[in-house]
Amino acid sequence: MNRPRLAIAGLTACSGCQLTLLNCEEELPLIAEKFEIHYFPMAESVSEPEGVYDAAIVEGAVSTPEDHALLFKLRNASHLLVAYGTCALFGGVAAMNNRCAERPEMLGTVYGDSAPLIESFPPAPFKNFISVDFAITGCPPEKPELLALLGGLLAGTLPPTPCYPVCTECRSRENLCLLLEKGQFCLGPIIQGGCNARCPATGIVCEGCRGPVREANVAQELELLLERHFGREEIERRMSRFTPEWNYGQRR
Amino acid sequence: MGSVVEIKPLTRVEGHGSLKLFFDGRQAERVELCLTDSPRLFEALLVGKRYREVPDIVCRICSLCSTIHKVTAVAAVERAFGIEVTGETRLSRELITCGGMLQDHALHLYCLLLPDLMGQRGVTGLASEAPEILQSGLRIKRVGNLIQETVGGRLIHPVNITVGGLGQRVGRDALLRLKEELLAIIPECRQCYRLFRRSFPFPQLPRPEFLALEPSPTPIAGELLHMSNGTVFAIESYREHVVETVLPYSYAKHARVNGAEPTVGALSRLNLGAALAAEPRTLFAKVRDDLVGHDIRANSLAQAVELYQAAERSLQVIDALLELGREGECCRKITPSAGRGCAASEAPRGVLIHSYSFDEEGYCTEADVITPTSLNQGALARDLLALARAMEGADEAEMRKALEHLVRCYDPCISCSVHLLQL
Repeated sequence: MNRPRLAIAGLTACSGCQLTLLNCEEELPLIAEKFEIHYFPMAESVSEPEGVYDAAIVEGAVSTPEDHALLFKLRNASHLLVAYGTCALFGGVAAMNNRCAERPEMLGTVYGDSAPLIESFPPAPFKNFISVDFAITGCPPEKPELLALLGGLLAGTLPPTPCYPVCTECRSRENLCLLLEKGQFCLGPIIQGGCNARCPATGIVCEGCRGPVREANVAQELELLLERHFGREEIERRMSRFTPEWNYGQRR
Repeated sequence: MGSVVEIKPLTRVEGHGSLKLFFDGRQAERVELCLTDSPRLFEALLVGKRYREVPDIVCRICSLCSTIHKVTAVAAVERAFGIEVTGETRLSRELITCGGMLQDHALHLYCLLLPDLMGQRGVTGLASEAPEILQSGLRIKRVGNLIQETVGGRLIHPVNITVGGLGQRVGRDALLRLKEELLAIIPECRQCYRLFRRSFPFPQLPRPEFLALEPSPTPIAGELLHMSNGTVFAIESYREHVVETVLPYSYAKHARVNGAEPTVGALSRLNLGAALAAEPRTLFAKVRDDLVGHDIRANSLAQAVELYQAAERSLQVIDALLELGREGECCRKITPSAGRGCAASEAPRGVLIHSYSFDEEGYCTEADVITPTSLNQGALARDLLALARAMEGADEAEMRKALEHLVRCYDPCISCSVHLLQL
């Protein structure tokens, strides 16, 4: 049987999505057997992408000319391009201030007058540049979603992706509702599920790391938070942590 | 005539980097170590955020080190507000830190470094050529991750570590399960050092100036930093001792400590007298002559000793937690106040410092993070040049291999190193 040929790469990010693959300790030997992992600089010494890939699985936001060039190279060399993780899909943490701060100012804050001579721009998701064939969200992604993708690739297909909010799984786990019952700043109602409500199950509010769920009712979430005396500024700041672009809908 | 040897990108390390060695004829003249992860400007992102948001955001600097970033950030915020956490919280944080150390050392030793020693390109080569060794490493790594997930609620970027305490206490059954899993890997952890106790195929390097946190009963948020040259200083005064400069070709700042280029990490800790449990202490005594006073080539052996220590210490902490039982509320109430808090810890790769200032409402007004890789950067550049000089006349392919191998001995984490600040 042909082994699907993979490229696994990271752009502007924390390497957490790639680490999620290396964290599949029990499955890793089988993955190495079933796939030809050709380009994976974090774990393999191959310096350049080469030839055609069945899939390129790429994490991170795009924020340098090198990121941009590598993304195009992998797009052009791959049958499927997978946006892997929240940064690739929505910009992620590095993009949280995109709407409220200028990059040169932020560079100045960090490097003073002596900013290094390396070019960079505000971190942006893949969809601003290329077409994406499949997406795995999360900061970090959930292992089962990655394994489902790899299983799908072996079977010549792609797995289904959930399109319900965190609350669906949270309710089925019978967690106490942190938003309605404790009045805490929980973003569960508008965030993509699939994490089995990990954080609320630990008593910690959903911070929104998986990005917007399809048809998110942002206006209603705003209403719920405003009713609980959270300020508009704080709400927008917290919602921007992983996704700077929200459609705040009719609620101004 | 001048020539340049360029290694781009550096592989089997976290993040994006490259290096250039400039030669004048056969003589290596200078080195440029370019750590070029795009700057995510964390310190600028944190300003204006509320104190509770700070640890959640800053742990995203790096996935490999997210646990220790979070634990250290939380400790710094708590210091700023004068909060004392419960004994249960302290132990739980120590446990997750041990889990982080175990997973991180296992990842580096077995997945990133071992291919060099086995003549493989990477982890997939190991899977086919040395499957049993790789699987042993992965078993150790898995238990480290299990600890992190059990205590932290999530494997990377743990959520259960919060300002004031824990979201939820770690249950008795979960602790007993961890204990069982740990006991199963202890024999493999004890033997790990054998793989890494070997002479390296490249010449002796300059003797490092070691820097580490002084051992204390609470390994997280220690009080003093000490160096092999005898310097000792309090964490709070780190800005008087650590001077960072911007390099035109790199996004990581170059740090000097009291004028010296320090080396931090496993080898430094063991050289400066880390507190070890009984059995790891016996192991350390056995390999002591291969570690004490040695250059960075001995770092992987030091990591192997620490990997065993992390497993043994995890067991001790689990027993202490089981004995403690339930202690009432597991999270303190927080009242923000204006002030600055600074905490340092020993991350898997070495000394990590977080420092934050807040206004009276708890909004962050200043943030500073000093990471192990930015501390190690000067020493790494120095060693690369020394290695190239010692190998003068060697075949280029051989030299490239040695240089890459040397970079991996330092176990750099480039995402971490790229960021900084001095507001």
